[in-house]
Amino acid sequence: MAFLLSRLVHALIVLLVTGFISFVIIRYVGDPVNNMVGQAATLAEREDMRRALGLDDPAVLQFARFLGDVLSGNLGVSYRYGEPVAKLLLERAPASLELSLCAMLLAAGLGIPLGVWTAINRGSALTRILLTLSVIGVALPTFLVGIILILIFSVQLGWLPAFGRGEVTDLGGWTTGLLTIGGLKALILPSLTLGLFQMTLIMRLVRAEVSEVLRSSFIKFAIARGVPRRKVYYRHALGNALLPVMTIVALQFGNLFAFSIIVETVFQWPGLGLLIIQAIQFADVPVLSAYLVLISGVFALLNLTVDILSPIIDPRLRVASHRGRVA
Amino acid sequence: MTDISRHSPSLWSRLLRDGLAHELFRSHIAVLSALVVLCLFIVAIGAPVLAPYNAFDPGSANVADARLPPGAHGLFGDYYSLGTDPQGRDLLSAMMYGLRTSLAVGFGSVALAALVGVTLGLFSGYFGGITDALIMRIADIQLSLPPILVALLIDGVTLTLLGRSQHDLLAIPTVILAISTSLWVQFARTVRAQVQVEKGKEYILAAKITGVGTRRMLTSHILPNVMAPVLVIATVNLAVAILVESTLSFLGVGVPPTQPSLGTLVRIGNEFLFSGDWWMSILPGGLLITVALSINLLGDWLRDRLNPTMRTL
Amino acid sequence: MALLSVQHLSIRLSTRHGDVSVIDDLSFDVQAGEILGVVGESGAGKSLTGMAILGLLDPPLAQSGGRIVFDGGRIDTLPPGEFDALRGKAIAAVFQDSMTSLDPIMTIGRQLTETIIAHHRLGRRKAEDRAAQLLAEVGIPGPRERLSSYPHQLSGGMRQRVVLALAFACEPRLIIADEPTTALDVSLQAQIVALLKRMASERGTAVMFVTHDMGLIAETADRIAVLYAGRLAEIGPTSDVLQSPQHPYTKGLIASIPRVNRPVHRLFQIEGTMPSPAARPSGCAFHPRCPVAIPRCPHDQPPLITHKRSQAACWLLDPSAIPMKETLQDA
Repeated sequence: MAFLLSRLVHALIVLLVTGFISFVIIRYVGDPVNNMVGQAATLAEREDMRRALGLDDPAVLQFARFLGDVLSGNLGVSYRYGEPVAKLLLERAPASLELSLCAMLLAAGLGIPLGVWTAINRGSALTRILLTLSVIGVALPTFLVGIILILIFSVQLGWLPAFGRGEVTDLGGWTTGLLTIGGLKALILPSLTLGLFQMTLIMRLVRAEVSEVLRSSFIKFAIARGVPRRKVYYRHALGNALLPVMTIVALQFGNLFAFSIIVETVFQWPGLGLLIIQAIQFADVPVLSAYLVLISGVFALLNLTVDILSPIIDPRLRVASHRGRVA
Repeated sequence: MTDISRHSPSLWSRLLRDGLAHELFRSHIAVLSALVVLCLFIVAIGAPVLAPYNAFDPGSANVADARLPPGAHGLFGDYYSLGTDPQGRDLLSAMMYGLRTSLAVGFGSVALAALVGVTLGLFSGYFGGITDALIMRIADIQLSLPPILVALLIDGVTLTLLGRSQHDLLAIPTVILAISTSLWVQFARTVRAQVQVEKGKEYILAAKITGVGTRRMLTSHILPNVMAPVLVIATVNLAVAILVESTLSFLGVGVPPTQPSLGTLVRIGNEFLFSGDWWMSILPGGLLITVALSINLLGDWLRDRLNPTMRTL
Repeated sequence: MALLSVQHLSIRLSTRHGDVSVIDDLSFDVQAGEILGVVGESGAGKSLTGMAILGLLDPPLAQSGGRIVFDGGRIDTLPPGEFDALRGKAIAAVFQDSMTSLDPIMTIGRQLTETIIAHHRLGRRKAEDRAAQLLAEVGIPGPRERLSSYPHQLSGGMRQRVVLALAFACEPRLIIADEPTTALDVSLQAQIVALLKRMASERGTAVMFVTHDMGLIAETADRIAVLYAGRLAEIGPTSDVLQSPQHPYTKGLIASIPRVNRPVHRLFQIEGTMPSPAARPSGCAFHPRCPVAIPRCPHDQPPLITHKRSQAACWLLDPSAIPMKETLQDA
């Protein structure tokens, strides 16, 4: 309990710091007034604007106001689109989330079984091929993977679309591409690109951890008891290997966030990643600073989730029961 | 762990003395990748001399020859072994210059990261206390962020701050700064751990008693003995730096278009992928993969030879 | 017919410098319902023998010769699928360290029920009942509640009892107990061994009890097999081996057990140390340390020679091997 509280405090501190950096950027970079009213405004109009925006108040007050705004969902107005940043983020979020989810499912869905399999069948030819491919995979930049996939599947074969989300269905606030064939097709290449690096990482990680566990005595004992092999490998071995794997996979979600920027650029996927790139290119400061806050929020949440989940997975981390040991 | 309590003998003598590589497979790969890396270096450094055309000379680029496939001849009889880019520049030359830029930025980033990281690691490990706590806290926070993201944000923020025109001038230093910011932590942590080990050894105590000042202590006594893993980390991170730089350039927030790196070339060529002109993006991409892969393999081999306890994934 | 018959078993270890024979031409039987004590120093190969019988030898170790026959059928050449069915049901095992024998993230109830269900067609409920029964039998208080405990919540003695319960869960015909009490303190050792003995005799289970502790074996086993440097030195009924050992090594082992009821000036110790498998002496492996070695010993490996109800691999038992000048030592 105390542990969780300290992690919470830690997360809050990080959030505050990023919030501060965000605030500094948005307030002191360029001239907010200029960006809002344009060149032709008169001096008087500028003065009015300054007062309206509260730009003459002491810095601490402005920071407090900024925090209040952030917490109430007001993240400023985008220079480029002229729309509230919060609205933009919410519009684009489903696209990125769907993509990340599919990529992660792919990465874990393939990575974990392959990792277990290569750990069990160490000498097999397939294992060696997979390991070699994974070494190469680490050296492949994500954008290149995307381009190559587009070249093969879009340009040469014409099977899958290279740009955009295809048809999306609007379910209230959430737009999804999973309900249409076009949408699903559009998801394939980007998910593959995004998930490939993760899959390589997960596979190698699972393999290392499972190999380690397989050397344990309790595995030998389980086999000696006649527990079916599959159960030994997937329940006992993988189960024990899972905690360190989960920790790293959860942190990999952070990587997904970063790599999705690249993938969305390659595939022109209308998500948060594309938004931030365009914001950088157009010096759209409000979006940029909101993104900073968003990222630190996401990462703080991620780390907290890992801290909460760990005791659930590994019973040894749970607080000792008051029953204590029985002689 | 290899014994580093004496001044380490030269790397070569150590490598030679440590006996045969246990897996022939691995040493073949190592030799091959070392050769490849060497070739790449020669090409990069000698680009102005070796390249058939000077990629930066506007006069040599012939717009009429734009987007020619590999092996084609231009309007005026120029031979383009790998084709041309959208502006009529010879792709082979552009790739060689691009390699140069990529390697230069990569090296610069790693050098800066090593400088900052080793220094901070030295302070952190030697002085301990608040210095240590502070540095390590920052390191922890940063470690949870992926390098690409850190580099992207710093680069992006600087671009926004400086405005477009100024940014182009300062682009390369900005990129180097951004990438090295994402990489210093590993150096700092490893050096810190080494320093903490060395700190307790007798020769340090002896030096202290004879009144050696802090600065000399750090530079002459401790530093040489903690350098071994730094080389390994530097090599491994060189590939990372190159990949990050190419990603940033591909996204348009990296090196300026006047000094393209391999990533920039891929971006430029990407526009024409759909018209079937594949070579403009795939060939620079292939070179990029080769660079990253061979440096990675060399780094792996180096790590295995020098310090097996550092083996990670 | 013997329940388990190990015939000329050889096990090799593949190293970078070549193959090393760690078990050499080992033969012995285990009768149904008996407790065979397998004694020897660390490195003699006792654990490996057990592993080989269970089919749990992993590379770089492998069986390089001989046969293992269980209940009339050869098992060392069984395909993995069929062997899996044998383990737990026909042949079970108990290992040394109870903490590492149990899966730390699974309740002991689940580990019990999964073993039971693997071999019997019982529903979850019935399997749990049986598991609780077993826990009660091994002397764990509050067995029903204990089913949902994790291994780290139990003490060392409790855990070893759970391991025993797991071994007996499927009523095996033979249990390989590899140093089951070495990690426990002395008072617990006695309890666990008594428990093992009782459960085995109630079910008619044979036990191959591997240990380096001669004293423990004296209490427990019906017969004793003494291993030295990967070979069988002596085998026979416990009382015979203890009271009139035939092999000089066995004599040395027994002599080195401290006696509390007699004054002792210094503890007896056999000179030298047991050779590693890579450096096994020629002929009889014990000859460099043997106080009564004769000229033939370094040259030829002695076969197992029968003497009354025991067998020992020693040339001194073969009258034709001893030159006229030498006289037989006291048998």
